[in-house]
Amino acid sequence: MAELILCGRGGQGIVFLTRQIGQVLSAKGLNVVSSETHGMAVRGGSINSHLRIGGFFSPLIRAGHADFLISLDATETDNNKHYLKPGGLIVENSTLAEEPGIKRIDAAGLARELGRVQLENVVLLGYAATLEGFPVTVEQIRGQLSKEPREQVRSLNLRALQAGVDAAA
Amino acid sequence: MTQQNNPDVRFLMGNEAIGRGIVEAGCTVAAAYPGTPSSEVLESLVRWKKELNHPIYVEWSVNEKVAFEVAYGASLGGVRAAAAMKMVGLNVASDPFLSAAYLGIRGGLVVVVADDPGPHSSQTEQDSRFFAWFAKVPVLDPGTPAEALEMTLRAFELSEKYQVPVLLRPCLRVCHARQNVSLNTPRPAAYVGPFKKDWTRWAAIPKYRLKLHGELNEKLARIEREEPAASPVLLNEGAGNSIALVTSGSVSSHVRDIVASDERLQGIDVYKVDLPFPANRDALQKIVDEHERTLVVEETYPVLELQIKDRRKVTGRLSGDVPSQGELLPELVEEIVLRVCGKEPVLREAPVVKPRRPSLCPGCPHRPAFYTMRQVFDQAVYTGDIGCYTLGINMGAVDTCLCMGASIGMAGGMSRAPFTEGQTRVVATIGDSTFYHAGVPALVNAVHTRARFVLVIMDNNITAMTGGQPTPAQDFLADGSPGVAVDMERLVRGCGVDFLEIADPYDAEGMKQILEKARSYAFDDDKGVAVVITRRPCVRAPKVELPSDRFEIGEACDLCMSCLRDLECPAFHYVKSEKRMEIDADLCAGCGFCVQVCPSQAIKAKGA
Repeated sequence: MAELILCGRGGQGIVFLTRQIGQVLSAKGLNVVSSETHGMAVRGGSINSHLRIGGFFSPLIRAGHADFLISLDATETDNNKHYLKPGGLIVENSTLAEEPGIKRIDAAGLARELGRVQLENVVLLGYAATLEGFPVTVEQIRGQLSKEPREQVRSLNLRALQAGVDAAA
Repeated sequence: MTQQNNPDVRFLMGNEAIGRGIVEAGCTVAAAYPGTPSSEVLESLVRWKKELNHPIYVEWSVNEKVAFEVAYGASLGGVRAAAAMKMVGLNVASDPFLSAAYLGIRGGLVVVVADDPGPHSSQTEQDSRFFAWFAKVPVLDPGTPAEALEMTLRAFELSEKYQVPVLLRPCLRVCHARQNVSLNTPRPAAYVGPFKKDWTRWAAIPKYRLKLHGELNEKLARIEREEPAASPVLLNEGAGNSIALVTSGSVSSHVRDIVASDERLQGIDVYKVDLPFPANRDALQKIVDEHERTLVVEETYPVLELQIKDRRKVTGRLSGDVPSQGELLPELVEEIVLRVCGKEPVLREAPVVKPRRPSLCPGCPHRPAFYTMRQVFDQAVYTGDIGCYTLGINMGAVDTCLCMGASIGMAGGMSRAPFTEGQTRVVATIGDSTFYHAGVPALVNAVHTRARFVLVIMDNNITAMTGGQPTPAQDFLADGSPGVAVDMERLVRGCGVDFLEIADPYDAEGMKQILEKARSYAFDDDKGVAVVITRRPCVRAPKVELPSDRFEIGEACDLCMSCLRDLECPAFHYVKSEKRMEIDADLCAGCGFCVQVCPSQAIKAKGA
C-alpha cells in the first residue's frame, strides 16, 4: 500500500508520470488506481494527480494520507501539502536547499542542460525512484520508458531519467 | 482483481475502458461530440480500432443531437451503436433521446454521458441519472474504470433484452481515473437483421405514441422487478446492523475505502445500486425498514433517495445532511458517515489553497484577438461562448457564457436592449468548433432579423479545449480516414452574411483595421451582422510549427504592467526583488505580439 500525490502546473507532464508508474505496477499484477485533471483546469492552472497502490476503489487520496508528494512546481507544493501524512516526504523540483521532510532537485535546470525543459518531469521521477519506499524502481521505470517506439523521444526520456538518478547519487 | 503476469492487463482511464467495452461488445457505429470529461471515449475507440484492426465506424459528429441520431439510425439498421457526450451535451441531444425511449431500438444502443460533479469543467452539476428518469431510460452507474468496462457490456445486453436505449453514466472520477483493467477478446459484430418497415412504431403518430408510452412503462416495470442490477447489493460482510448506507457510482468507491479503513465503521451495512433508475423500490424500502437509520450517499441529485417511498428513517440530501451542491470528495463523505454514526470527526489541517487561474496558453491566437477587440470596441458588451476562449474573461473580453452557441443568439437579443453610456455595442465571440455545433442556426436567425452586432469567429482549426479533435473544416475524420471539408466562409455566406473578413490575430495593425471596418458596418451604418474570422492554428495542435524567436525586455520598460494586465500572457513575470519585468523563455511561444503592442516599445528580439 502506498499513496502518492503528483502536482504542478498544467503542461508539465504530470499525467505522463502518473501513467508510467501505474503501467509498471499494473504489469506487475498490483492493484493501482489514479485520478487526473483535464479540461479547463489544465490551461496553465494548478493540477494534481492522485495515485494509490493497494486494495483501493476510490481514485482520490484523503487529506493526511499520502506517503509522497512529488511536486514539479514549488509554488504548488503548499496547495497539496495537506494530503501528506505525518512523516510523509515531499520531493520538489526546486533550486533551493533541502530541509527536513523535503528532498529537492533542480530538475528544470538539468532538463535544460539536456536541451528541453519539458524533460523536467522525467528527471524528477528518476530522482524520486532512488528514494527509499518509492513504489517503483529506476530499473522498472527505465524498462517502461524503453517501450516508447519513437527513437528520439525514447532516448531523451532515458537520458532525463539517468540525469535524475545521477543527481541523487 | 489482481492478475499475475496477465499480458492483457492495462492501466486504463475510465473513458478508455468504456471505449474498450464498446469494441468488446461487438458495436458497429460510435458517434460523439467532445466535452470534458467524456472526450477520451471516442479518442480511445480510434486507438482500439487501430490496435485491433477492428471495423467499427467512429465519427466526431457536428453536435450531440446529431451524434445520438447517427447512433440511433444505426441501431434501427440492426447493429449495436453508441453515442458519447458530456452531460450538457445530453441537453442538446435531449429531443431525440426522449423520443427514442418511446420508439425503442433494434440493435443495442448505449448512450455514454459523463457527469462532472464539482463542477470542474462544466456549466452545471446536473445528474444524468435524473435525466434518464425524466426520459424513462434505464441507467447504469459505474464506480471504477474496471466496472465501467464491465457495465458497458452489460448496457448493450440490457438494451437489446428490453429494446430500450440504455444510458451509461460515469462521473469525472471514473472517466479520468485510471486503474489496472483486464481486457477480453471482442465479440463479433452483433446484427439483429435489416430494418423492417413499421410506421406505427418508427414513425408513430400521436395515437401510437400513447401505446408506445404504455409499452415503455411495462419495460421499466419489468427491469425494476427482474434485473438484479436494479436491487441494492450488500458489499460488506457482517449484516444485521443498525445503520445502512446506500450508494451508487463513483462516490460508492470513496464510501467503500472509508468504511474499510476505519474500524469504528465496520458495523455499517453498505449497499450499492448499479442501476439507479429504475431502482427496485421494494428492495430499497426493505433495507430502510430493516435498519434504524439509512444514509443515502449519491452524486449529485437524490435519485435513489427519491425512489424510497417512506423516508422517515432516511438521511441524505432531502434531510439536509448531504450538501445539495458540490462534489462529494472523500473527506466530505468521511465526515458525513462519521456524523451519522455518532463518531468523532477527523481533525485536519485546512489546506492552503491558492490555485493558479487557468489562462490562455502563451502564443494562443485568441489572446491577440481579444486584445485587439478590446482596443477597438472598448466598453462593448462581449457575449462569449464555450471553449478555451471563455478564458477571454481574464482579459475583459468575455462578459457572458451560457451554453454552446449562445453568444450569437444572446447577441441578437442584447443588441435590442437599451444600453448605458459607453456600452453601446455588442460583440460576440465563438470558436470554430462551437460555431459548427450550434452557432449556425443562431447566425441565420440574427441575419434574418437584422440584429446589429459584430461576430468574431475565432478559428484555430481544431476543437482545442477538449484536446484537439477535428472540426467539420477538416478533410479527415476521427480515425484519419478521408472526409469532406465544409468551408467556413461558404457556410457563413450561406447564413446570409454580407460583411465577412478574415484577420490574422498575430498582426495587430491588420486586425485592428478589419475590426474597425466591421464596427462601421454594424454600428455606424447599421447594416446588420458583421462577421470577422480570426484565423491562426492552435499552438498545441499537432504539426504546428512554432516560431523559434525569443524576446527580452529592454531598458525602455516603464513597468506599466500592460503585458500582465491587458495581454495577460503567462510568459511575463514581474521580478519583485529587482523591480523589473521578465519573459520566461521556457513558456514563451515566440508569437511576437507583445513586441507590436508594448506601450513603451521595450520588447525586442533576443540578441537583436
